[in-house]
Amino acid sequence: MTTTIVLQQAINGIVLGSLYVLVALGLTLIYGVLVQINFAHADFVTLGAFAAYFFMNLSGAGYIPSIGVAFVVGGALGWLINATIFTPLRRKNNELLPLIATIGVSVMMQNLMLAWFGPIPYAFETPYSSQVFRFAGIFVSWQNVIIIAVSSVTIALLYAFMKFTFLGKALRAVSQDRETAGLMGINPNQLIMLTFVIASALAGMAGAMLAPVLVLTPFAGTSVIVKAFAIVIIGGFGNVEGTILAGLIVGLVESYTTQYLDPGLIDIVVFALLLVMLAIKPTGLISERREENV
Amino acid sequence: MSDPAITQHLAVRPAGPLSRRSGFLLAALAVIALPLIFTDTYWRTNLTICAINVLLALGLDFIIGYAGQLNLGHSAFYGLGAYVSTLLIVKLGVPFWAAFAAGVAFAGVAGMFLSLFAVRLRGHYLAIASLGFAVIVYQILLNWIGLTQGPLGIYGIAPPPRLIVAGTVIADFHNLAAFFYLVSGVTFIVYLLLDQLVRSPVGETLTAIREDEVSAASLGINGAAWKVFAFGIGAAVAGAAGCFYASFVGTLVPEAFFVTEAFNILAMVIVGGMGTLIGPVFGAILLTLLPEVLRGIGDLRLIVYGAALTLVVLFMPGGLAQAARVVREKLKLGGPKS
Repeated sequence: MTTTIVLQQAINGIVLGSLYVLVALGLTLIYGVLVQINFAHADFVTLGAFAAYFFMNLSGAGYIPSIGVAFVVGGALGWLINATIFTPLRRKNNELLPLIATIGVSVMMQNLMLAWFGPIPYAFETPYSSQVFRFAGIFVSWQNVIIIAVSSVTIALLYAFMKFTFLGKALRAVSQDRETAGLMGINPNQLIMLTFVIASALAGMAGAMLAPVLVLTPFAGTSVIVKAFAIVIIGGFGNVEGTILAGLIVGLVESYTTQYLDPGLIDIVVFALLLVMLAIKPTGLISERREENV
Repeated sequence: MSDPAITQHLAVRPAGPLSRRSGFLLAALAVIALPLIFTDTYWRTNLTICAINVLLALGLDFIIGYAGQLNLGHSAFYGLGAYVSTLLIVKLGVPFWAAFAAGVAFAGVAGMFLSLFAVRLRGHYLAIASLGFAVIVYQILLNWIGLTQGPLGIYGIAPPPRLIVAGTVIADFHNLAAFFYLVSGVTFIVYLLLDQLVRSPVGETLTAIREDEVSAASLGINGAAWKVFAFGIGAAVAGAAGCFYASFVGTLVPEAFFVTEAFNILAMVIVGGMGTLIGPVFGAILLTLLPEVLRGIGDLRLIVYGAALTLVVLFMPGGLAQAARVVREKLKLGGPKS
């Protein structure tokens, strides 16, 4: 009985963790090339969720295409925020101004969504949530299978893109040394734009898959993003492998806290982990050279 | 063109002691006059909320603008001050002003505790650690139901006791005007103290650390200790605001201290102009009253906060203080030549 519970919660934790990884990877990618944080990333998750909800319920095209719609909506928002906030502020060369500006964007977006969608939570029901099969004594829904499949394929594709394609290599070059990369004929501005679009598309997509789990309100993204921030720091800012590892750990910590302690303690446990991590090893699980920020 | 008189005329002179004193006098007169002009409950309530927000903005500005530490968790210290003082009064029957002192001290110590982590961190790391701290405090207030009554809240919190000198009642804080005078009086004193502090060598030390910590260290300045000090002061001021808030509103729910409140205070500091003391005062007043004036447009009014924050960062990062300086210099240049 107990092993079943442990395994059951392991599945739940991995499902949740892989969604957190998608959100946190976006933050890490942006931090890698720009050393900046987009606070409105949270609202890309929320807007992705709403886009998927309305697409699925209005077009009747089903759940899986709606994940694609959320991906596109997220990407478009990423392009927009890069063009309107980060590009104009880049010349000022200040590490905190863009963060503050995107807090403003976030407050604006949340209240615009509040005005349009109202404060009452939406019930996002996918046809796959209720289709459950039994595997080695534990229950797995098709929704969970879709989430694990879509996010692991996405993460693998992203990883292959970064490692093996020319653009991916250029992107890593820019995040290592923007000026030298510029001398090698790489246009950093285009790559930064590309990074924003990819990162935000991942957030939108994660929103479409998180929505059935979350309470879907205009503020849904905030609870996710604070965990994503914790993950990014625990994993090491700008570090892709560290972020994946930390995301899965936080997902598991969350599901076991729910099972054995109290759901109300999740944020406290996660952030206590973060503060301990900052005190012991501020460079994250997998250290990189970006130590001047610590 | 090389006439020293002209260059001296063009240079921005720091306000002399005389004009500063008359500025303070004018501000004091305005504070005294306001509740006499606005006599209805609605506006007197707003005035007191304004004064509380000015206090919050001053504390945060000291941490961000002067010590250069991006604190995204100011709501935590505000909430700690409110809950600690209220619980002492309600559960243990501690007298108001003793509980007030305890709330201020607790918030200050919490700020110093957080900055013990923070001294190793800069920029984004500190921003996220402080945000995390605010989330933890909010969740504790929400979940420690035995102590805080969680989302149900604490009701019927009494205002401060009447001020009695030699048998006569000087002030009864059930009266809104008296409460406004109390909060704005304390805010005024905090402003004067911070103003003295930032003009003293302490202020210069903090600026040196903010601009270049390594160079400051080479001059024998202990950057970490000063950061802890600044964080403690700013957090203690927020604690005072929390005590006043609880006894003014009479009700405490954790929702009032969610992280969005920290963003609202940040908006007041940025819109006013961080790194100046007078800027955040006007930023707090503007952003408290603007949504009230715009109440007619319903939910959209909170969008004003977001829009103001974004537009100010993009187009006038120095906030209202910078705008005022630009206008003053334009007037000076275009004015009649003496």
